[in-house]
Amino acid sequence: MRVQFKTEGGFAYLPGLSKPVTIDTDRLTPEEAGKLERLVEAAGFFGLPATSDQPRGGADFRTYTISISSSGRDHTVRIVEPVEDPQVQALVDYLGEKARDSRAGPRSRDSY
Amino acid sequence: MCRQIKQRHSVFCVLPPQILRRVAENGTVEQREVALQTLATDSTYRTLRAVRLAAPVTTPAAVAVADQLQRTISNARNTQNLPGIVARAEGASATGDPAVDEAYDGLGDTYEFYREMLDRNSIDDQGMPLNATVHYSRNYDNAYWDGRRMVFGDGDGALFNRFTVAVDIMGHELTHGVTEFEAQLVYSHRSGALNESLSDVFGSLVKQYRNGKQAAEDADWLIGEGLLAENVQGVALRSMKEPGTAFDDPVLGKDSQPGHMDDFVNTNDDNGGVHINSGIPNRAFYLAATAMGGFAGEKAGPIWYAAMRDPRLKPNSGFRRFARLTAVNAWNLFPDGEEHRIVQDAWRQVGVMI
Repeated sequence: MRVQFKTEGGFAYLPGLSKPVTIDTDRLTPEEAGKLERLVEAAGFFGLPATSDQPRGGADFRTYTISISSSGRDHTVRIVEPVEDPQVQALVDYLGEKARDSRAGPRSRDSY
Repeated sequence: MCRQIKQRHSVFCVLPPQILRRVAENGTVEQREVALQTLATDSTYRTLRAVRLAAPVTTPAAVAVADQLQRTISNARNTQNLPGIVARAEGASATGDPAVDEAYDGLGDTYEFYREMLDRNSIDDQGMPLNATVHYSRNYDNAYWDGRRMVFGDGDGALFNRFTVAVDIMGHELTHGVTEFEAQLVYSHRSGALNESLSDVFGSLVKQYRNGKQAAEDADWLIGEGLLAENVQGVALRSMKEPGTAFDDPVLGKDSQPGHMDDFVNTNDDNGGVHINSGIPNRAFYLAATAMGGFAGEKAGPIWYAAMRDPRLKPNSGFRRFARLTAVNAWNLFPDGEEHRIVQDAWRQVGVMI
């Protein structure tokens, strides 16, 4: 399974932080791969609409774009926060964490 | 308005503001109360301006117009459940939680700025309660306005600190409410960049107001100072004075805001670059404000505010329409002054020809 995740918008929107992050389950440990696959399944990802409803008014909310290719299925979803479905939110949270880990590098809090 | 005052005090309704002010200062407790109520319910800009001009700085309490500030700060306790648990209601004392207390103070400062400098009573100009939620989610690197409340994250700590750390952030989010109420600028592409710029403009003015109505030439014109974590190479999120110079960091990248139409960024990301191209109208405001001199909330602020509320500003208006309206309103507000020329020149310097 190949997952691409991108965050756009928000008060602190910076193009540098908005580059897509790609995760390939072939490159993860079996445990991590399983975790991601379960999150995708629980979110009902392949059945989600391609775009969510726009919020009524509002500004500085972020938009998440998730593209997943798996066993011949391809699907892309654009979600505007706040995310209604807690299972979808769990997937977004996980991918957001991975994106932060891949960017923060030597400056992540864990390394102090 | 005078229907709200009891019949036997109706004489107060015919008194001009200067006399009401004297009563507010020197009358009996009951007389002062009624005078203040009368002043409060006459919301014409002229009246309040007269009160403000007549009020000597030594007695601010006596002429304080009855406040309709109504803040509620809630704590989402690192969940995504909104609104969260009430942490501090209007009038309550400081809690010791910096996010709660900063939000409370920042909302108050924003309300006071709008009330004093622009004669506006909260987001809807009718005393709309100001609600904010802090500690939203985990490692949440954002603050947003959802149409009814402000929501603030704690930041991840490595790149961003908590989003209540700078008062201009709160001014920025609240101003989205004002813009939504007045101009409904569509939040995408050019109208969206204008929408974003208005939030940066008035957010900055709240900060300068809180710094003692600091002069434009003394202000730093930075948005989100203190937001970037300690080891990040940058001073702020954005610079209105010099778009593109706020940060240059290995992880964040380089600040990519343009300051001139020649560098306008055509993109579909970020709703058409609303946080990017806002640099251009931001710089126009900075140029106008510094050329006028003094605290920008006295002239440039009211001019921009009048343009925002001008019925000729449409939800899909772009930079040029707005720029023209700032020049027209500068003339209306200051018919014998240089302000309309300064405004026109400021826009030309950023490549918007009017």
